[in-house]
Amino acid sequence: MRLLLMVAGELINWHFQTQALTKHSQFFDTNYKPFSLYNIPSHSSCSLPLVVFYSFPVFNSSSQISFPLLFSQSSMASIAGSSTFMASLSCHKPNQALTRASNFNAVSLAINGKSFPSLKLHSAPSRLRVSCAAKPETVDKVCSIVRKQLALPEDSAVTGESKFSSLGADSLDTVEIVMGLEEEFGISVEEESAQTIATVQDAADLIEKLIEKK
Amino acid sequence: MVPPPSRTEILSLFRSFLRSARQFPDYNIREYTKRRTVDAFHGNKSLSNPSSVVAAFTDGKYQLQVAKRQALVYSFYCPKTKSIMDT
Repeated sequence: MRLLLMVAGELINWHFQTQALTKHSQFFDTNYKPFSLYNIPSHSSCSLPLVVFYSFPVFNSSSQISFPLLFSQSSMASIAGSSTFMASLSCHKPNQALTRASNFNAVSLAINGKSFPSLKLHSAPSRLRVSCAAKPETVDKVCSIVRKQLALPEDSAVTGESKFSSLGADSLDTVEIVMGLEEEFGISVEEESAQTIATVQDAADLIEKLIEKK
Repeated sequence: MVPPPSRTEILSLFRSFLRSARQFPDYNIREYTKRRTVDAFHGNKSLSNPSSVVAAFTDGKYQLQVAKRQALVYSFYCPKTKSIMDT
């Protein structure tokens, strides 16, 4: 009787694991990665092999889904590869909060490292200097973004004093330019401040103020 | 009669669309959302009939709700590998 229950449990475990694999395997090719989910033997309840799954540091939210059946201890090892240490811990019934916290840290670091490399390089010198007007390199960056957005040729005269409307931008283009600046500099502009931007110099000054405030 | 939306309301709707487009983890969906909102707003720029302006605005608000929901759903099931176009 107990043997039957064990076999049934085994089958259910195998079924859920293959479900999990097929659900998440649509973006994978099994032959690419040396260590992957697919090398896990299915009867790995007690002695868990250390599966180090290395991928790009991508936001992996698999630990947040409330599927307690799917993500048993064997699947815990598949959390993004910056935590090989965590994989060794996962053999011993990990603390859910601990893995989530470390996953968040790894994730947030990964996102910051991946998305804003240019911001780290440029914002450090701007904090050391004291300036009342916007710096020329900020103005240059704003000019290049404006040029790209409005599809102006490279030699067009975009200076600090040029207004967006004179460059041929309507209000929608202005909003798009502000969003592009937000993404480039990693700042967040509120609605009211965004309405008051009329020239390139305004934008650069606002950006400087927001970067200093951070 | 419903008053037509003001300029600031339309611009803030546009901004909300672009902000919710940023939250998609998928590169393709993100770019599509940005492209589609720009095209839609530029296409409806020259509407003169106030009732059609109101209709377009309410449609835009509904689509914004759709986009926000989808951003949430996509963030649950995002793939582990990013697209090659994501720098």
